[in-house]
Amino acid sequence: MGLKNLRGRVAWIFEDEDFDVDQIVGVKNIKIKDAAELARLAMHAEDPDFATSVKPGDLLIGNHNFGYGHPHYPPMIGMRHLGIGGVLAESFSPGYWRGEIAMGFAQVACPGVLSAVSRWDEIEVDWAANEFRNHTTGTTLPIEPLSDGDRLMLEAGGLVGYLHARDKEEATG
Amino acid sequence: MGYTIAEKILARVSEKSAVHAGEEVLAKPDFVIAYDFPGYTDVIFRQMEEDFGIDKVAEPDRYALFIDHMVPATTTQEEELHQLTRDWGAKNKVPVYERKGIGHQVAAELGYATPGAFVVHFDGHISQLGTFGTLAIGVRRHLLEAFVKERIKFKVPETTRIDLTGTLQLGVTARDVFHHIVRVIGPRGCRGHVLELGGDTIDDMSLEGRQSITCLAMFTGAITAIINPDERALTYMKERARIDIDPLFSDPDATYASRHEIDVSTLEPIVVVPPSPADTRDLSEVAGTEVHVGYLGSCASGRVEDLELAADVLEGHKVKDGFQLNVIPTSQEIMEIAAEKGIITRLINAGAFISSSSCDYCFGRMGVMRAGQRAVSTGTLNVRGRMGSPDSEIYIVNAAAVAAAAIEGRITDPRPYLKG
Repeated sequence: MGLKNLRGRVAWIFEDEDFDVDQIVGVKNIKIKDAAELARLAMHAEDPDFATSVKPGDLLIGNHNFGYGHPHYPPMIGMRHLGIGGVLAESFSPGYWRGEIAMGFAQVACPGVLSAVSRWDEIEVDWAANEFRNHTTGTTLPIEPLSDGDRLMLEAGGLVGYLHARDKEEATG
Repeated sequence: MGYTIAEKILARVSEKSAVHAGEEVLAKPDFVIAYDFPGYTDVIFRQMEEDFGIDKVAEPDRYALFIDHMVPATTTQEEELHQLTRDWGAKNKVPVYERKGIGHQVAAELGYATPGAFVVHFDGHISQLGTFGTLAIGVRRHLLEAFVKERIKFKVPETTRIDLTGTLQLGVTARDVFHHIVRVIGPRGCRGHVLELGGDTIDDMSLEGRQSITCLAMFTGAITAIINPDERALTYMKERARIDIDPLFSDPDATYASRHEIDVSTLEPIVVVPPSPADTRDLSEVAGTEVHVGYLGSCASGRVEDLELAADVLEGHKVKDGFQLNVIPTSQEIMEIAAEKGIITRLINAGAFISSSSCDYCFGRMGVMRAGQRAVSTGTLNVRGRMGSPDSEIYIVNAAAVAAAAIEGRITDPRPYLKG
């Protein structure tokens, strides 16, 4: 079972280094649990039309150490509810990365990506070739390969599926 | 080519003769620790049963649960969550430690920080067990893996080594040292690595000070921090260690991703300016800023020497009228020692409000600020809304600076108060 390529438009570019993802919905909303409400709030302070302008499969772009600080899950619960397919960044904060991969949410470390995209460019992540492609500009960049554990987890759609896959792997030995 | 302490610990728990950074291993944690929190423990207990059909954990002595958040409970839902934890512990024969203090500290007191052990938790501040030569890692939701599997899949991390040199000035603490490290290497200076600390400053530092530093490793981007255990750490753990394993140490020719030497002999008290945990500056840059609340406590700070330093600053002074100084010792054991030493009485006489140990002041569940208020804090974090309104602010400083600000109602250099 291989991972399906990510393909979509650049829905947002987070230009700040060490970006605190809680800002996506705003700290005052961080205890909200309803995914639809979180989706409505996502990036609303920056772009009131964000929720209505993104399409399933669209992707987010981040700078270095994306997810730094004390990341909570609600912002990306909102983003996934909108159909956002994943995040590509120059690099990730390890705690954020681990948390989102466990949710089955694709995260792609791609040095150079920030300067290789503009908002709404059509982009793709080819997991087999470990390559990022910007179909709007023709640019390609290598992505950092996933570890085996992270790849299995994304293939299984998250932590629970991954652990079931490990059960099968161990049973067939 | 030698190995780091982290590589040696992961080799041991993977039953391999040696592992190097980059390898993926199946590691058996010596201890699996969690505090009860909605969305974590309750979900793990449910998923174990519903998704994996696991009724009980196989080796209950490997697990430990702490009730340290939402203590005391203020809603029926919180008390129900605690009861779920107690019931699950009783059914599984897993110890539940309640009202003993902040779990990351109590875990050390109870010997879960056995030198050479591998520990996982969902919370990254468990890194502070590294003070005792324990590799302790916060794995967030992946903790489920350690509840349903004997072994977790884990990529052996690289290690960044930092040697600290020089003697700290009076009024400059381990807390200042940690934030200075972030200032020097940056918030991603150790991204994804183990932060291994050493040097003569660490050698001379108390275990409490080392706990402050290792607790906060995540703000350098590190996945944990560790110190090769010395006589002091081994002596502390001698009677407490829960399992009989040999301590491990980095080889002199171990491979590090990078090495830094940082001189702290001229370091001044620092402040971490909101809302970023990476914005470290000299305290003098913001001296005079009006503040209304002081928080001395947390899993990072709030130990005996922090409390004593604050009492020294407050000696002969009173907390300014209207200023709220909340002092929460990190554990009940620490509170008892501080009481025996007369520190608690001195703090109360100066006007401090003292509470029993709890995590609740650190994350805005107790001692909450309204919009426009500003705190000086030894809590772990200064992001927006952490201690109440998103329009309140948190300036992170050391224990002495919290006390000095409590006297003056503004951020001020604590050192003049310590010169008698």
